[in-house]
Amino acid sequence: MVSIARKNLFAEKMRFAMSVSGVGFSVFLITLLLSLFRGWNDRVGSFVEHVPVDIWVAREGTTDFLRPISVLPQEIAGELRALEGVDSVHPLVVIPTGFEWEGKAVETHLVGYDTTGSAGGPLEIVEGKPVPSEGEMVIDKALSKMYGPNIGDVLEHSGQSFEVVGLASGGNFVATQVSFMPIESARRLLGVEELTTFYLVMVDDQHEPVVVAERIEENLTGVSAFTGEDFADTTRDRTLRDVIPILIIILILAFVVGAAVTGLMIYTATVEKAREFGILRAVGFSNGYLYRVVIEQSLITGLVGFTGGVILNVVVGRFAEDLVPQFVILVRWTDVAAVLGVTLAMSALAALLPVRRLAGIDPVTVFKA
Amino acid sequence: MSANSSGGQPVLEMAGVTKDFGSGEALVKALDNVDFSAHPSEVAVVMGPSGSGKTTFLTIAGALMRPTTGTVVVSGIEVTHLPEAQLSEVRRRRVGFVFQSFNLLEALTGLENVQLVMQAEGLSARHAIERAKALLEIFGVGHRRDHPPKHLSGGEKQRVAIARALANNPDLLLADEPTANLDSTRGREVLQLLRVIARDLGKAVIIVSHDLRVREVADRLLWLEDGQFRPLPPI
Repeated sequence: MVSIARKNLFAEKMRFAMSVSGVGFSVFLITLLLSLFRGWNDRVGSFVEHVPVDIWVAREGTTDFLRPISVLPQEIAGELRALEGVDSVHPLVVIPTGFEWEGKAVETHLVGYDTTGSAGGPLEIVEGKPVPSEGEMVIDKALSKMYGPNIGDVLEHSGQSFEVVGLASGGNFVATQVSFMPIESARRLLGVEELTTFYLVMVDDQHEPVVVAERIEENLTGVSAFTGEDFADTTRDRTLRDVIPILIIILILAFVVGAAVTGLMIYTATVEKAREFGILRAVGFSNGYLYRVVIEQSLITGLVGFTGGVILNVVVGRFAEDLVPQFVILVRWTDVAAVLGVTLAMSALAALLPVRRLAGIDPVTVFKA
Repeated sequence: MSANSSGGQPVLEMAGVTKDFGSGEALVKALDNVDFSAHPSEVAVVMGPSGSGKTTFLTIAGALMRPTTGTVVVSGIEVTHLPEAQLSEVRRRRVGFVFQSFNLLEALTGLENVQLVMQAEGLSARHAIERAKALLEIFGVGHRRDHPPKHLSGGEKQRVAIARALANNPDLLLADEPTANLDSTRGREVLQLLRVIARDLGKAVIIVSHDLRVREVADRLLWLEDGQFRPLPPI
């Protein structure tokens, strides 16, 4: 079958390339923003979600891992252990801290944990020593990439020195990264010997974490207890909720730009081919056929642009995080399918104006020389 | 004055056709109570000065425009009040158009230009290609079928346009100044081709033209002036 739409598009290669680029850029922007959001969402909550504990106990009013207002007295540990269903309790210190390395500031969320157990420590060691001793620390590999320190380097804080002995993964919160040291070192570093930010609670096999969390809040005053999943969700929510409106606005802009570029290109192509569309009407093609030609042109442009945009996103996603640690991309194929739907909507929208233009073409004009 | 021919069932019948443009003092009667008929195998040539209503006559005859008053029947179908969708069908099946500036689609090859109108009629791609090739061979441009119009000469373009006009085997062929953009040799060739189409294929051919050479192929010569057929002036 002869497809006028395809023939028209490929006869004007430069225009087609420009239309496809416009749609492709728009699709790239939309998928990139969605992938970024997915990536951030995944990373921000990932550490909390994967710390192998059942319940996070914090000072009442604490809502997330990154902004703890939590200073808990040590006697709470005993009270927790006494509750039915509690198997073990581990103190954790979490506090945003700045170190100095080669004259540069290295900002991190310092995690002091009980190195005799694994709760609250690095999720995965990618290089070096897994458990830091006194005067040592393990940093996230994303922190190493961002600021530069590596195994063997020494970070300074308030006259105290800490040698980097290991690189970990899974502690990249995008906006910040975690570093680990023994809880005693962390307390000494911060000058508060009794400091505990969170208690991590393991529940025995006979009890559900949700039930024990409720019991903790009922029996202990001034504390909040979250299951790991809930605490991950609130951390995600608190961290990303300010970003979401901005993402939505950029998504809408990307959609409008894509629809406008496609619409303008298809409209211009239709106006330029008005005489040819008039010929088609004169020789007996129905308006419906002409509309299909324009819609097909728009859809082809949309689909080629979509394919280009998605491929670009996947390629960028593969290398972006290595270059910029905050550029965490997670491509979900359900999102890609949704963007395909958006692209088709964009293409259909872009065809509306040209279709209206077609309806006004008078076939009699083809008799003019 | 009536411009009816005799003999056989007419392919085109126009009775009392008037076409007005504008209104009030700006009213222009492009056609004024015109009667006309055309029969198979004849070539009717309509001549007249600029602004005489020739193009309006052709567009109404070809079911592209509705008359203000009067009736138009194409191949036995009264088209005067048909809705646009059915008018398109009549044009596609019953009428072939040959234009002054060829009006081929630039993005398509010669073959595809001919093939396309058959596909619109529901013919399979294979049959459409076969028939398009045959038509282009008949009209002497088979060897140029894979070229786009911009690579064809004026005469070749007009031959492709004639092949396209005949693709769906219409009863009526309407040609608007078919020689205007051709040199005298190519113009004569095209006119002879139209003559052959009428005589050998049994089509009714109506040619609207300023070109005096057109008289050579005319079975009937009509003079249109001020929207009415009038006696032929001395030429």
